[in-house]
Amino acid sequence: MTRISENQAQRRLVENTIEKKRQVNQYSNEISSGYKVINPGDSNVSGTIARYRQSLDKIESYTTTITTTKSLLEFQDDVMNQMNDLTVRAKEIAAQAASETNGTTARAQLAAEVFQIRDHVVSLANSQYQGRYIYHGANDDTPAYNQLTYANPSTGEANEKWQWDNTLGSTNTRTVNLTDNLSVKVNTPGNSLFDGTIQALEKLGRSLSGYTTGGADSPYTFPAQFSTQTQDIKAQIDALDVAREQTIIPERVDIGGRLRRLETAESLLTLTKNTAEEVLNRLQNTDETESASNLAQAQTALQASYTVTARVLRLSILDYI
Amino acid sequence: MANFGAKILNNSVSSLQAQQAAIATISNNIANVNTPGYVRRQAQLETRSQGGGNGLDVGSGVQVGDVQRIADNFLESLMQGAQGTKSQEQVKNDYLTRVESLFALDGSQVTIGSALNDFYSAMNQVALSPANLELRSNLIQRGQDLASVINNTYNTVAQVQTELDARLGDEIGTVNSLTAQIADLNTKVAQREASGATAGDERDKRDVLLNQLAEKISFQKVETDNGSVNIFLENGFALVNGSTSRSLSVTTNPSFQTAGVPPSLGGGALSYVVYDYGTTGAPSHLDLTPYLKSGSGTIGGILQVRGYNSVNNTSAFSADGPLVAVASRVEALARQLLTNVNSTYLGSDEDGNAANGHQPSSADLNGTVPNAYGLFGTSLHTSSALDVDGDGRPEISDLTSASLGRDNFASILQFKVATPSNFAAARDADTTAGSTVFPKGDGANAQALAALRTQTFTFSTGSYSATATMEDQYNETVSYIGNAKSSAALNLKVAEANYTTAANHRDEVSGVSLDEEFTGLIKFQKAYQASARMIKVAQDLLDQVTGLL
Repeated sequence: MTRISENQAQRRLVENTIEKKRQVNQYSNEISSGYKVINPGDSNVSGTIARYRQSLDKIESYTTTITTTKSLLEFQDDVMNQMNDLTVRAKEIAAQAASETNGTTARAQLAAEVFQIRDHVVSLANSQYQGRYIYHGANDDTPAYNQLTYANPSTGEANEKWQWDNTLGSTNTRTVNLTDNLSVKVNTPGNSLFDGTIQALEKLGRSLSGYTTGGADSPYTFPAQFSTQTQDIKAQIDALDVAREQTIIPERVDIGGRLRRLETAESLLTLTKNTAEEVLNRLQNTDETESASNLAQAQTALQASYTVTARVLRLSILDYI
Repeated sequence: MANFGAKILNNSVSSLQAQQAAIATISNNIANVNTPGYVRRQAQLETRSQGGGNGLDVGSGVQVGDVQRIADNFLESLMQGAQGTKSQEQVKNDYLTRVESLFALDGSQVTIGSALNDFYSAMNQVALSPANLELRSNLIQRGQDLASVINNTYNTVAQVQTELDARLGDEIGTVNSLTAQIADLNTKVAQREASGATAGDERDKRDVLLNQLAEKISFQKVETDNGSVNIFLENGFALVNGSTSRSLSVTTNPSFQTAGVPPSLGGGALSYVVYDYGTTGAPSHLDLTPYLKSGSGTIGGILQVRGYNSVNNTSAFSADGPLVAVASRVEALARQLLTNVNSTYLGSDEDGNAANGHQPSSADLNGTVPNAYGLFGTSLHTSSALDVDGDGRPEISDLTSASLGRDNFASILQFKVATPSNFAAARDADTTAGSTVFPKGDGANAQALAALRTQTFTFSTGSYSATATMEDQYNETVSYIGNAKSSAALNLKVAEANYTTAANHRDEVSGVSLDEEFTGLIKFQKAYQASARMIKVAQDLLDQVTGLL
């Protein structure tokens, strides 16, 4: 016969009740915190959970970087669009001026418009994004183009000469990590983009204003050099074409490509994020239905345990003697 | 002819005495129903034999032969063993719970993992926009967070080890007091039982003490002929021998360690449990630590978590145990920050002439090159002290060289840049040797640092070594502590169940059951009443005879 001593009976009742209470506590914690794994010891795959949580954090920070980079590249895309329009407009003026039916006076009138286009292009080359001269490489605290002067004429727009500031670091490019193994270039040095256009516009403007564009830097003598002026104007049409076709359009294509890579990276990150969230959901997060039903079960068991404990402990042989 | 009248009286009187003795035993059982360690007693009734006389033997009544303790030594030992394992696992579980909470997975607190992520993200932002002071300021904040969470994590682990070491001393004190009391009770049991009596109360008390001792250490016990219990450790060392006990002590300066004692993670020393023979000739200390460590009980648990280093060594990381393993991992990360991250921060050696010292090829917003100690430093590194061998680069060999006089850097790791503009994000734009130009808006250095996130490093401290990215190394640490803790929790559950089973078995035999005692009480009461009636019968019989006269 198995004896049941008082201590034994009491120990069993107490331990069962405590275990039920622990379960109620555990399930209610799971529901209130939303996690069934809080500390590493709560799961045997805690390393995996840590890895997925880390990748979620990483994705969040990469997404921020992508958003910032995107707006920076879109700004540059906009600049290149304007450049394209400006060179097209300049070419039209040059073609009109090149016609020899236009005399020197008519050509001089067109010069003003060309200089306006040049000023616009210079302002684009010196454009600032968030306070930084983005086309000046690593020296983005100073403008990319500085103003110098020609000897002739001594005043006016034809006197202005814009020159690329070639301090060391000005042609540095910057790349940024978009994901663990994808990085993109976020800036292009200004000289490679703007030098051709600015110089062509400057020469065109000077020719139209009546100044030679060669090394001599002097006024044309009319009418003897009228045809030279025409040739100079025509030469700038070609130069503008070269600048547009060899720098502006390729740069636009390149920016478009980079923007597409950003979008691909972003959608890949979203995909990874969804997967990570799904896995974490399974490994770490509380399944509320399951926990709630477990909690209800444990509560019932705890109540039963209380009832049984009270009944058994109240029983005494003394009541019957 | 025998006098049956007298027999009846005698037998009845013997019964009255015997039933009373049995009732008295029951009263003692009921009184002690809740006394820990109490073993129920049973009055053993036996027929009395008075011998002599001839003719009809009707018997000579009843007597109490013995008051027996209903104990089973095997079950007592089983329970003591289960108790030892339970308290051993309890200690492991308690202390590992404190360590695992440093690596919480619910994102409610800053962990090394989240700090690493924030640091690299901030670095990537600076690479994108190097001159932005807000982003630089954010990077400095994240760098300081990373250094301080590494400090906290390491220090907490070291603190747990120090606490365990201090608790070891307390527990050994308790063991000494228990063994002394057991030796004392041995003397009393031997004295009382020499006269033939049963020293039940003393044995009960001694059992309680043995249970308490089993909570602390695992031991072998042998009961000798005179009733003494001798207690031995696993290696045969006698803790209690008859009436004498041997007192253990805890020391950080044992005579057998001649080449320096192993330091603790916190920079102190790990203590040994020894018996001091008190001899003048060395070694007078007997090292009992490994035997206690391989055993169960609180002390076994403490030593297993705290770690023990059996060889003469100067590194805290050569000890075993989960605390040292976790601390080694944290330290390995700190060393990576101090060496490889710093080397990257300083930039490459453009002169290609290491003998002339490393020329930092990175600079801050003002074009100033960083100090030779780099981005991360410690409170020890106020100048170029990080580079001990003078080659201009901080390396693991510089950190572990004796001149620094310490082997952990995680506890004193610092982020050395405090002013946003002083973070060196730029790299030298001039390719001419000996000449440097640092453009203000250059982020090449920040870019190189951000790229370290995906780079694989070789981590190594003490016996720990791993090749992984920083973040994966952290994940492995989480996995390690998670497994250590969950297996401790599982073992504790098993040990608790085993203890309950063993205690139930013991109580099944030795515990007091009120139901049983009260039915016994009724039984003996009835017998008492019947015997009293027999005296009346005897009296009547005598009266009949007297009436004839």
